[in-house]
Amino acid sequence: MQRDFLDPKVLSRLAALPLDARIPMLGSVSGRHRSPIRGSSLEFAEYRKYSPGDDTRRLDWRAWGRSDKFFIKEFEADTNLRMALIVDTSGSMGYGPGGAQNPEVSKLDYARSLAGTLAYLASRQGDAVGLYCAGEKFTKEIPPKRSAAHLKFVMDELSNAKAAGETGLAKSLHEAAEKVSQRALVIIISDLFLQPEDLKSCFQHLRYRKHDVAVFHLLEQSEIDFDFDRPIRFVDLEGGTSLLADPSLVAKQYRKAVEMYTEELRVVVRDAAVDYHRVSMEENYGEVLARFMLGRAR
Amino acid sequence: MSWIPTFLQSSMLFALPLIALPILIHLINQHRHRTMHWGAMMFLLQAKRMTKGMAKLKHFLILLMRMLAIAGLIFAIARPLASGWLALTAGGAPDTTVIILDRSASMESQDLQTGESKRSTAVRKLTELLTSVGRTTKLVLVENTRNKAEEILSPDVLPDLPQTEGSATSSDLPSMMQTALDYINANETGRTDVWVCSDLRENDWDASGGRWEGLRSGFSEKDGVRFYLLTYPEVATGNVSVTVANVHRRQIGNEAELVMDLKLRRESKSNDPVNIPLQFVINGARSELTVEMTDKEYERLGHTIPIDAQVRTGHGRVELSNDTNPQDNVYHFVFAEPPVHKTVVVSDDKDASRLLQLAAGTPAVSTIDFKADVLPTSRIDEIPWNETAMLLWHAPIPDELTATQLQNFVQDGRTVIFFPPATANSNSIFGASWGTWEQSDSKNPITIASWNNQSDLLSNTQSGGALPVGELQTFKYCSLEGEDFSRLAQLDGGVPLLARATTNSGGAYFFSTLPQASHSTLSSNAIVFYIMLQRGLAAGAGSLGKARQLEAGSAAIGDLSNWQPADEATDVILSNRPYQQGTWRTGAADEERLLALNRPIDEDTAGVISDEKLKQLLGALDYTKISDDVSDSSSLVNEIWRMFLIIMIMALIIEAVLCLPERRLVAEKEAA
Repeated sequence: MQRDFLDPKVLSRLAALPLDARIPMLGSVSGRHRSPIRGSSLEFAEYRKYSPGDDTRRLDWRAWGRSDKFFIKEFEADTNLRMALIVDTSGSMGYGPGGAQNPEVSKLDYARSLAGTLAYLASRQGDAVGLYCAGEKFTKEIPPKRSAAHLKFVMDELSNAKAAGETGLAKSLHEAAEKVSQRALVIIISDLFLQPEDLKSCFQHLRYRKHDVAVFHLLEQSEIDFDFDRPIRFVDLEGGTSLLADPSLVAKQYRKAVEMYTEELRVVVRDAAVDYHRVSMEENYGEVLARFMLGRAR
Repeated sequence: MSWIPTFLQSSMLFALPLIALPILIHLINQHRHRTMHWGAMMFLLQAKRMTKGMAKLKHFLILLMRMLAIAGLIFAIARPLASGWLALTAGGAPDTTVIILDRSASMESQDLQTGESKRSTAVRKLTELLTSVGRTTKLVLVENTRNKAEEILSPDVLPDLPQTEGSATSSDLPSMMQTALDYINANETGRTDVWVCSDLRENDWDASGGRWEGLRSGFSEKDGVRFYLLTYPEVATGNVSVTVANVHRRQIGNEAELVMDLKLRRESKSNDPVNIPLQFVINGARSELTVEMTDKEYERLGHTIPIDAQVRTGHGRVELSNDTNPQDNVYHFVFAEPPVHKTVVVSDDKDASRLLQLAAGTPAVSTIDFKADVLPTSRIDEIPWNETAMLLWHAPIPDELTATQLQNFVQDGRTVIFFPPATANSNSIFGASWGTWEQSDSKNPITIASWNNQSDLLSNTQSGGALPVGELQTFKYCSLEGEDFSRLAQLDGGVPLLARATTNSGGAYFFSTLPQASHSTLSSNAIVFYIMLQRGLAAGAGSLGKARQLEAGSAAIGDLSNWQPADEATDVILSNRPYQQGTWRTGAADEERLLALNRPIDEDTAGVISDEKLKQLLGALDYTKISDDVSDSSSLVNEIWRMFLIIMIMALIIEAVLCLPERRLVAEKEAA
């Protein structure tokens, strides 16, 4: 599987790391993730008093010998997870270090690398992978599945994704919360150009559906610093409206706006227990993913 | 007072539109913006909403500072002058600048530390002003001693001219203003600034005289004439002045002494007693006297100083120690046997000749012989020309021979007063001739419109009181034809009553009426008539006597080119001799004649005219009063380009500070 947004070196390095969920998952087959229901794995979970009707094969006779009481020995159930990758494909994701007209690497390219690598790693450990491309609405919806052919399908769609249109991420996230079955790992890759208040409801909705929500917040450094020196007519990548501004005049307020937004977002993700990762595009995506995976390793 | 600055390089002001350069660059910069596709519009929109108030103000300030820096540079190069009252402001220098300089004795009051007098300060400041900004203006000087409009080639030479040196004279400001007006009228001077430098002494300005109305009217008809009064009204506290009067020799047995009336006056707010040392120098011999002044004035009548009994004539002076005005620290005097005050009345009219003889022959001073003879016109040849001090000519103007004799008589310093004959001929003398007799209704006599009370025959008394000239009434007068005379008094309608012909020495007067009751009230209001004749007689007798005492600048002084300084204190250049204090001598030892010149007494006593009075005098004329002080070393004009350069530097510094990147951003960049 040769994709230009995948780096074999990164893949091989990350292959050694597990991609775990932070909460028990409800999978369809046995896997490496904990399940909310007891199962037959080798890992002991707990004792519980025998109730009539229980399978007598699961009685712990040693415990009976010690206590003269009947206990049922229960074990964890290991299952696979369903990973839903939600990639923002709105126009603003076309921006990159070289601008939007001819970017060296756009935010969408970066998102492609993150999503493709995660899909590959998840698929490799037997998890189901789905892809949702969110523009003004979902432009592509691929529910999680765990076949190799499905992974190829996901990769193809990632390759074909284009940054265009206004963002409809908030609406898409609400939609995804309903569409994706409960207890999935929902990974959102976006620049999150939404009001934190709107995001808050999205995250709460996803958490309500018992999803493990992770966010890769992509921002290009110039979008943070706003370090320009001449008047520029800024054309909105998502709507075409334009605004003439003198950076020397508005830079301070711009930075202040970014700061306020970041602070509000921090509160939102903390309250919603979202695994939040702010990603600078100057950072190697392999490092970002390694940090992400290590943070989740059990 | 306008505070618009003047610029020496005013052409540089054409560069002022460059002030708009920062705005232009800003607009071009805005116009030449690049276009960028941008994703984070939500932050940008929020920033735009927040970019109000301080940020915009900062940007505006930056633009303002840049404009200010350019403006500062342009103004600095244009060489601005700090001189709000300059006439040479709007539109550059005037076409003509007339300086009316009061060189009177009171203008010599000086700052003891710098030694600069009011006059020299005014001249210096005007020179600085005109050198800086008025080089293109035509410069005309009118000063009180000559009272002529003299064109000056360059303002640089002003302080070195004899015409701007100090003098012991008094000024006649209305007369000087009239000279300036005549010059302006005669030369069509265009836009003219008239600078009047004066200490505003009442005696100089003749505020009560009748000439101001004519001046106001004359100047108000001239467009573009502005007045700048550079005034020094401050009266120096502590200044003491000295005068002596009635100096005469007295023989007591085998001894002789000099008798004089001594008078001291001091400017002081208190009457604290103070000892004043006086030095008397008589024929070179010096003696000292200390007097105690317990009031503002000290008078000692009949002060005597013993002299050699053989000495019949002599000269001397009284000196005070140095104070703020050196001109009033000395008073010169001369003494000799007084001459007979002889008057000859030439008249065929018995009534008139009787009254003239009576007025001229009545002694004004008991120690002097007064004599008045009447000669009919048929006995003109018998006039004792060499013994006569004054001629009262009530006869037709004589023919050529007698006219020449009369002119020589006047040239010798004597006085002649012409009265109109019953029938005038066509002859003229001293540029004037009699016209026809005019008569008024006896119920409506002609009154005096104005008279010169500053100098000459109708001037105020020594105590400052005016003669009752205004009370005179005229019923018949004879018109006077000619131009070369000055009017000392004129009747309603501008007819000259008393006129003085222009002569180098002596006095030639024309009086337009007669003393009889049918002609005027001169005989009933005899004070004016008597004093007028006695003054003319005294002036004429002065040239007869061996010792004369005159006021500096007096027309009776005549030519002093053949006179020598009588003492070491008298050292003056030839052209200024008549206007300075001192003692002079001429002639051989046995025929030696002495002359003492002193400042007019009014210079010691006159007050300062008030602003209100000044307003009344100048009326609606466009004038600006600048009150200066001798101790004020500041110039009338100062180049202030440094200030604009500092403004430019300050603007650039503020602009740089406003443009500094924020500290946080710099730190972040460094960290990156």
